[in-house]
Amino acid sequence: MNNPITMLGDGFAHVFAGGAAFHAFWAVLIGIIVGALPGLTATMGVALLTTLTFTMGPQVAMLVLVCVYVGAIYGGSRSAILLNIPGTPASAASTLDGFPLAKQGLAGRAMGISTLGSWFGTLFGTLILAMFAPSFGEFALQFGSYEMFWVALFGIVIAGSLSGGDPLKGYLAGFLGLLVATVGQETNHAYPRFAFGNPDLAGGLGLLPVLVGVFGVAEVLNAMRGPAARAVSAKIDSVIPRIRDVTQYWRTIFRSGALGTFIGAMPGLGEDIAAWTSYAAAKRASKEKELFGKGSVEGLMAAETGESACVPGAIIPVLTLAVPGSAPAAVLMAAMMIHGLNPGPMLAITNPEFIYQIVAMLVVADMVKLFYGLVLVKPLLWVLLIPRARLMPIVFVLCTVGAFAITSRLFDIWVMLGAGLVGFVLRELRFPVAPLVLGIVLGDLLDKNLLRGLVLTGGDISPFFTRPISMALCALTLLAVLWAIPGLMPRLMGVFRRRPA
Amino acid sequence: MSEGADDKAPLPPRVDLATAAVLLALGLGVMALAWRMPTFVEQSGTGLTAPGIVPGFHAMVVAVLSVLLGLRAIRRGALKPGGAERPAWGKDDARQLGTAAALGILYAGVLVGTLPFWLATALFVFGFTAAFEWQLGPTGRLRRLIEAALLGLATGGVVTLVFERIFLVRLP
Repeated sequence: MNNPITMLGDGFAHVFAGGAAFHAFWAVLIGIIVGALPGLTATMGVALLTTLTFTMGPQVAMLVLVCVYVGAIYGGSRSAILLNIPGTPASAASTLDGFPLAKQGLAGRAMGISTLGSWFGTLFGTLILAMFAPSFGEFALQFGSYEMFWVALFGIVIAGSLSGGDPLKGYLAGFLGLLVATVGQETNHAYPRFAFGNPDLAGGLGLLPVLVGVFGVAEVLNAMRGPAARAVSAKIDSVIPRIRDVTQYWRTIFRSGALGTFIGAMPGLGEDIAAWTSYAAAKRASKEKELFGKGSVEGLMAAETGESACVPGAIIPVLTLAVPGSAPAAVLMAAMMIHGLNPGPMLAITNPEFIYQIVAMLVVADMVKLFYGLVLVKPLLWVLLIPRARLMPIVFVLCTVGAFAITSRLFDIWVMLGAGLVGFVLRELRFPVAPLVLGIVLGDLLDKNLLRGLVLTGGDISPFFTRPISMALCALTLLAVLWAIPGLMPRLMGVFRRRPA
Repeated sequence: MSEGADDKAPLPPRVDLATAAVLLALGLGVMALAWRMPTFVEQSGTGLTAPGIVPGFHAMVVAVLSVLLGLRAIRRGALKPGGAERPAWGKDDARQLGTAAALGILYAGVLVGTLPFWLATALFVFGFTAAFEWQLGPTGRLRRLIEAALLGLATGGVVTLVFERIFLVRLP
């Protein structure tokens, strides 16, 4: 039973037993449409679809959400190529070469490259997930409260440092998220923090209403500003990918797949960082550097492979540590909790087959994505032309339903509105949203493990610093903070560097 | 994962200084509230598991970081003349944003829970679409208004049907 091949086979059998084909087809399609529409992100798609999956069984619900996630990350490339606007932030790197290709009359070829790169990327990342997640999960079983506290803090710090923009604002956003997560009853003494006598506040701010607000309402407000986008062309050439594009750039595909998966597995970095890093690495190693930014097939392939490989990568820490690797993975993790699948180190004990079921779901989603990539060209072009004045109110309605549905409280709708407003203002003030979300998601993990650790030791904080894994995680966290201080690392390196005689 | 952290022009330092002041006030305020929370020393034997410890720590970090943000803003010229110059929102941007926000609050905060969900949704979608398409000019306005009304009714009906009847999700 514990043979990985047998468990993988069982995973596929289990997924297909739930009517996978039907659910995968509609969910990937919704994902691609959500991803393709500028203003709708993968995170928002997964958050809104979580509402629809309440009454489904956990496995079917996870399949639907994984399919939406995979589809949305891929779908973003459509608007990147045709509109020069990334449908999701993950596709920003794809605009650099995708749009120039479309302007040269090669929009179909660009979409074919994007389909192929994305397909390989997700497959590569899924392979890595299948190979390493179970063993890493077993290793993570050694993590106690002390280690989990550092994992949560490391996630916030690394997301603050590297999620794009200003690290100082990244840290602030992360700690604001952690603060938000402390509202409501704490676990040790059931004391309602910051409730001010309000029973709704004593119940805490729901994760889903906050996420729907930050990613849904804030996006709607953002999308309604500025001029509307126009498609480059209604005429599309063949989207059938060329074998030569794969054989010629196989090194780029593997490099981008590895980079994308690795970045995905880092807490809170996500698909856009994966795409940009893969793109930069491909440009550095390319023999045709001069073509990058002017319609390079290799550049587009690298960006697409990197962002799609990041999806399974971002699920690895969700399954093994309960720490999301990206914003959509954070919502996916919240959905797992809602459905009673407690992600984290204990998953290897309580539900070891679930990791292989996720692998099967990712493979199914990837295959359906390939199918749609080849056949769904004209209808998607039509979808891209829907005026935002008609689309955004519908999105707002779905946000409202999504926020309300989980606990049927009107209070959650107000939480969504508040979170949307705060999310919008923070974006305007150039605060990265990723650390904020990670803070909200990881706040509970950090809080519980810190307090549990202190209870176990009777208030002694030394195990947080002296246990081997804790010590290593503490050092990593400090290193990440030092790394983000401008000019400090070169100076420190200079101290250790031998001066010439 | 930098959703929303888009590549816009950098903010003028005075905006960062004002942000730092607000966040410092928030941090200090939360620290004060955390300090006043009970410690439950009798039950736990140690004050380190008091409910105020974790939010107090987070608030302290927010306060320290906001001081750093403020100092950085001052170093970048927040207090010098011209430190407040910023690319102002266009009039159209502000109007569109205000309209979207007002309609959203009216719908989610007032109409939902007061009217039947399908009707609240139909009114909101019609109002939103009509408000944003009004500016396209008088040519074809009547057709656009009729389409907006049909879109509103269809959204109200389809969302109610799909969520409540097919996926058994409770609606407000």
